[in-house]
Amino acid sequence: MRELTYADALREGLREEMLRDPRVVLIGEEIGVFEGVYKVTRGLLKEFGPERVRDTPISEAAIAGAAIGAALGGLRPVAEIMYMDFLTICLDQIATNAAKMHFMSGGKLKVPFVLRTQYSLGRMHGAQHSQFFPSIFFQVPGLKVVLPSTPHDAKGLLKAAIRDEDPVVFIESGVLYRTKGAVPEEEYVLPLGQCDVKRKGDDLTVVAVSRVVSEALAAAAKLEEQGISVDVIDPRTIQPLDLATIVESVKRTGRLIVASDDVKSGGIGSEIAAAVLEEAFDSLDAPIFRVASPHMPIPFSPALEQAYMPNADKIVQAAKKLVG
Amino acid sequence: MLKVVMPRLDPAMQSGKVIEWLKREGDRVSAEEPIVRVEGEKTTFEVNTPGAGVIRKLLSALGTDVQVGQAMALVGEPDEPIPLEIAAEEAPKIPAAQEKQSIVKLPRLEEPTASPVARRMAREASIDLSKIKGSGPGGRIVREDVMKAMELAKERLKPVAGPSQVRTVAVVKTIKLSGKRKVTAERLSYGFHNTVPVTITMEASMDKILERRVNVRKETGEEVSVTAYVVKGAAKALEDHRMLNSSLDEDTIQIYGDVNVAVAINTPDGLVAPVIPMTNNKSVAEISREIRDLTERSMQSRLSVSDLTGGTFTVTNLGGYGVELFAPVINPPQCAILGFGRTSEKPVVIGKEVHIAAMTTLSLVFDHRIVDGVPAAQFLQRVKELLEDPTRLD
Repeated sequence: MRELTYADALREGLREEMLRDPRVVLIGEEIGVFEGVYKVTRGLLKEFGPERVRDTPISEAAIAGAAIGAALGGLRPVAEIMYMDFLTICLDQIATNAAKMHFMSGGKLKVPFVLRTQYSLGRMHGAQHSQFFPSIFFQVPGLKVVLPSTPHDAKGLLKAAIRDEDPVVFIESGVLYRTKGAVPEEEYVLPLGQCDVKRKGDDLTVVAVSRVVSEALAAAAKLEEQGISVDVIDPRTIQPLDLATIVESVKRTGRLIVASDDVKSGGIGSEIAAAVLEEAFDSLDAPIFRVASPHMPIPFSPALEQAYMPNADKIVQAAKKLVG
Repeated sequence: MLKVVMPRLDPAMQSGKVIEWLKREGDRVSAEEPIVRVEGEKTTFEVNTPGAGVIRKLLSALGTDVQVGQAMALVGEPDEPIPLEIAAEEAPKIPAAQEKQSIVKLPRLEEPTASPVARRMAREASIDLSKIKGSGPGGRIVREDVMKAMELAKERLKPVAGPSQVRTVAVVKTIKLSGKRKVTAERLSYGFHNTVPVTITMEASMDKILERRVNVRKETGEEVSVTAYVVKGAAKALEDHRMLNSSLDEDTIQIYGDVNVAVAINTPDGLVAPVIPMTNNKSVAEISREIRDLTERSMQSRLSVSDLTGGTFTVTNLGGYGVELFAPVINPPQCAILGFGRTSEKPVVIGKEVHIAAMTTLSLVFDHRIVDGVPAAQFLQRVKELLEDPTRLD
């Protein structure tokens, strides 16, 4: 199968949906003339024109607000916020407008709006341009939260997000943009709310999210050499969360590690650990471990940033503590 | 000091569960006053104090199963000392009335560390976690440890059959015990485990009975069964040997006035033993008719409760199936059961001559706790005499 980068797979997803549905429009900073800081929108302005690929001033609240208004008016906008850090600026639009209108209108209004963003942890962008706080969004009822980990998933999930009737926060990983992976030529759409089992194993379940999925797979390969076989599960969307697949795996393995780039406190790992405890307590053979970032601002120093981030070695160490 | 003990409500009762204390330690009670509610297998009942006094000690915690005969509480004078062995054995189980509100948290010192799944598996397989050494981090007992313990437990149960594989046998059909079969199984195992059965046998000539049957058939056209003669013989012999017409209730032998012989009848659903009331007062012909009626109704599952209760002795017969001699299981709470086998012609030496006689073997199984060998033998001898001279049965 042909290989594409994560960024090109996303671009292909956007282009296919724009060709398929004239209501799909793009809006964001530097996405048109500059073709996106990570080149995800390369060539799209040329192909679809400024009516459908709209550059904006530097105002995230305006980008989100305009996109939500466009969605209410019948378009299917895909807004891009350059760094996840900037989502705090438009949080009111996302959490209080986009997520609520469908419910507060008694179902009359729909907000089919996708907010694409990326987090740059691992790219030496410092404390204000590297943050990853997905729990803020999966805590908001009315939002869907998607975190693709491969080029294949990025394309298939983005197409599903654009077609979805609800507001979707689509979080990409900056360090994955240049990674390559198999992407089929033919069209496909992946369902939101369904885990993907990336590797099968019997001794330990590792639920990994976004950038950390590849770290979990590397850890699983190392652990396999030591006789520990690992189930690696990528939830792909954390809201809605496909808990059943995770629980089924934990019931089989009896051990769980949740690995993700967000901080440990109140993060993805906390949520999944608590949910699994409720569902599979009597199947656990060990405590549930979270491999996540420490509760502190992300360091700018490359060495410190690497020490800060979850990686394959940290997952291997946690696994050894669990398996003993 | 008086003991309030768990009573036995029926012969099969083993224990009862304490479900409510009606009195507290220190309460004054009068004689025969109920002090505890107990749940038995069939019913819930109250147990009274045997005499007046002050409740000195409650010995059984709520919810515990107390064996029949075991003390649940002590009643005595306020200053009477509690017997040392009881104080030592039973003391900490029940908090006193005034401590009722306080929750005492005991330190869990001996509890081994085990994972949730290890705990669940151990619970399901009845494996004692304190006997397992944990191999997990920090010595935690993990799933693998419990699985090894289960394997080991299974290994111990395997018969030693050399190094080869254990032979497994294909099950073609399973039958869940239910209804009559279940009741039969429970009664028989109760009888088997809770009596001291001893078997004695004796041969009896049935020539006269067979001859008499032919005559009755000729005279009245009525078919009288051999079983009816044996039942009547046993009933008549019981009149003179009342010790066998009895049952044992805890430490009391109850000797019955009525002779109610039960007859074991095989039905497609299992064994039943309906009762012929006042057997000793009925004629052989009447008994024969009653057995026929009981057999018919047994086959149609139409026996009433009164048909099945009040038996004081049982007769059972496998002669129809070619059995010569067998030792049946006592039908609890009765003291004894009489079995008899096939009637067949055999050489019998009388004086210096060999005769041919129709012989049957009587086997009496009795509970040695109630009656000794000699009186049992005398009873059996009496049965033999009556069968060999059936004129005395009328």
